[in-house]
Amino acid sequence: MRHFALPLLAASSLVLVGLAQAARRPQYGGTLHTAIQTAPVSLDPAVLVQLDSVTSRNLSSLLFDTLVTMDDLGRIRPALALTWQGEPGSQRWQFRLRRGVAFDDGSLLTPSAVAASLRAANPTWTIYALDDSITIELNSANPSLAAELTLPKNSIVKRLPGKISGTGPFRVSDWQPGKKLVVAANEDYWRGRPFVNSAEIALGTSARDQLMLLELGKADLIEIAPEQARRTAMEGRRVSESAPLGLVALVFTHQQPSSEDQKLLDALALSIDRASIKTVLLQGEGDPAGGILPNWMTGYEFLFPTEFNMQAAQQRRAEVPYAPAWTLSYDPSDSLGRLIAERVALNVKDAGMTLRPISTGSGDLRLVRTALASPNPEVALAAVTASLGLPQPALTANNPEELYQSENALLQSHRIIPLFHLPVNYGLSTAVRNWGERRTGAWDLSDIWLATEKP
Amino acid sequence: MRNAVIILRVPQMFNLLRRSSRLVRSLPVFLFLLGSAWAADWGAPEQQLAQKIVAITGPTAVSLDVANRSSLSQTDVEAIRTALRTQLNAAGLTFVNPDQAAATVQVSLSENLQNYVWVARIQQGNNQPAITMISMARMEPGTPIREPAVLLIRKIQLWSQDDRILDVAVIDSSPPHVIVLDPNKIAMYALQDGRWQLEQSFQIPHSRPWPRDLRGRLVLRRDRLVDAYLPGVFCSTAAQAPLSLSCRESDDPWPLSSEQVSLNAFFSPTRNFFTGALAPGIGQERTVPPFYSAAPIPREKYVLWVLAGIDGQVREVDGVNVQTLSRPGWGSDMAGVKTTCGSGSQVLVSSNSDGAAPDTVRAYEFPDRDPVPVSQPVELGGSTTSLWTESSGNTAAVVSRNWETGKYEAFRLTIACGQ
Repeated sequence: MRHFALPLLAASSLVLVGLAQAARRPQYGGTLHTAIQTAPVSLDPAVLVQLDSVTSRNLSSLLFDTLVTMDDLGRIRPALALTWQGEPGSQRWQFRLRRGVAFDDGSLLTPSAVAASLRAANPTWTIYALDDSITIELNSANPSLAAELTLPKNSIVKRLPGKISGTGPFRVSDWQPGKKLVVAANEDYWRGRPFVNSAEIALGTSARDQLMLLELGKADLIEIAPEQARRTAMEGRRVSESAPLGLVALVFTHQQPSSEDQKLLDALALSIDRASIKTVLLQGEGDPAGGILPNWMTGYEFLFPTEFNMQAAQQRRAEVPYAPAWTLSYDPSDSLGRLIAERVALNVKDAGMTLRPISTGSGDLRLVRTALASPNPEVALAAVTASLGLPQPALTANNPEELYQSENALLQSHRIIPLFHLPVNYGLSTAVRNWGERRTGAWDLSDIWLATEKP
Repeated sequence: MRNAVIILRVPQMFNLLRRSSRLVRSLPVFLFLLGSAWAADWGAPEQQLAQKIVAITGPTAVSLDVANRSSLSQTDVEAIRTALRTQLNAAGLTFVNPDQAAATVQVSLSENLQNYVWVARIQQGNNQPAITMISMARMEPGTPIREPAVLLIRKIQLWSQDDRILDVAVIDSSPPHVIVLDPNKIAMYALQDGRWQLEQSFQIPHSRPWPRDLRGRLVLRRDRLVDAYLPGVFCSTAAQAPLSLSCRESDDPWPLSSEQVSLNAFFSPTRNFFTGALAPGIGQERTVPPFYSAAPIPREKYVLWVLAGIDGQVREVDGVNVQTLSRPGWGSDMAGVKTTCGSGSQVLVSSNSDGAAPDTVRAYEFPDRDPVPVSQPVELGGSTTSLWTESSGNTAAVVSRNWETGKYEAFRLTIACGQ
């Protein structure tokens, strides 16, 4: 456990909440300009979920709502559903819907529309539409269902041939797939019209171009890579940082590691000098990770070791007579991933093993970078294991001990070696007010307002 | 809009305004005590963790180490350590040095977003360590109250809740009552047996979605209990018992201050500001630039109004001239109060920290046309969302969103004369 995690989180949340509500009252109007690296070709949440969870949430939240939302303390809050209740056993849940909410095609939100949307996203659920509510029946207990419903994939979407409609705070006014998205404020949004009149999002914009746009005053909000965050802030730019919720990890791609594989993977884990990687490659950002979930989510991550112990690594390596040369694949478009992969390969070499980084094909190990989908630890663990192709944890209760046992079992399976938890960073122009970033790193453009006068 | 009429269970409520009591003078004390009564009680979790540890070790000699990895204070940690030893000892464990122990027990007092998580790592011989843990909801920290010098602004917490508080009103009655206006309802609470009990709640119907940065105002009336002003909606209690609440769509102007200084202004039904149209007006001025808040400064023959414009300018309007002040770094909220201190009239002004620091409220006087600070700023622990003069005209109610807890907290601000 790193003691700095909680103070950091506290400081982070202090700044975030503080920025969310300045003393000056919000002003309506203006266009918010932003840019992102990814270039989605569809706005359907079912397609957006293929992107990382932060981008998926950012884009889907512009146009769509979920039944419930999660606040910054991980508590479930009403959204399209006003109330909800799980029956004993957590296999059957009822959600009573808000009245008077309309899709952007003018039609009213109805229980049958909600049921149809959720069925499409969750084919195994049985969903009944009632007068003013829906009932969800599950095959097995899921005490975290309400938290799961906050995920972008569970956005309520009305799908018509060639068109999708949402109930969200903005409406599409210009959509050029993969290039540009312009959205306009929904004047009748049930939560209140967004402060800004519109938002323009340049898609597929490189990190370098984003920074240039911010410097030229042509963007109000850009993405900042974690390793660039400190330098950017030191150069006097306004940088926002979420809680560390991005996971960098090594995934062993063979389904069943042999006992010899397990010893080698132990040696590999012990040989990685996370502290050095953090200092040099991450420029001090992020937390070395022993667990899949960070300590601020679980409270127990400190139980999983992260220490660098070359002597122990060499001893463990020596227990295996012959160590095959493994390959480590990484995403060629991820420059930080490449650097980490190369540094890990160097560390491993000192332990008497060979690990060759490759940018194409599937390696014996895979370096993955993913954002945890939810501050709810049960939902986050289920989502990350699903996305990485790891065994799904069977959680029957919201209970830290059961969660620990599930996560510990995953780590003991030797399929995954967590390396770091990284924050999500954004660069902001001085005009941006009410910046409401949550611990999830997702933005809420509907709450942002733009200061029209110079500070 | 459909009127909402809800019958209040307490028909005597009309008398509340007219009745005063010594109890009301003790209201701040009640509130303070109520706040400070949230003391830590670790008995149950200590016992629970002790039982789990003993279930693994059995009665034996152990070494015990307790480490704090949470936001718990050192005082709490010491108390927990002592009590845990006592509980373990009662369950049959004895404590020895690590080299003599059959098991080493390392307890970590950790936490996550919502809970304290206490983890025990138990090492017995060369076995894999056993892990057991418990969790319990985290406490909410209290808000320290600071008192400035010169004129003193005293801050008394009136209410706290998760939902946005638009305004609060305190009824000086026996027992004391607090009325809380939030986006969905007007709720009335009575102080009974040292606890606030919900006495009645009135839903506020509205046909249009509320604007963001929703604002609202409660005004206690002499001939009825309370009026509530929200964007495009006006609610009022009935004039006769049984008490009920009626709401209707309305563009009626909102009162800008207390009844003693009568000026009303029209509030935009879809935004967060006053449009600038006044009723009846300030002297010859019937309209002024749109503004967020206003405060009166009574003069001998006229009232000078100070307005916080939505363009960031602060304007003084006396009925003849409109003068723009140099930007003093104020926020958007201000409220005038009448006191027995200084000139007898002060303006409480929120700060414009833009989130760099917790907001503050500071008192100003206007000897001539330039504001002069007459108190130290009082810190609110978060961001100001509302500041209104209370119906008496002598105090103000400020609402702040606590940065640490995310809760909305309403305070009464009173000005006390400095020593």
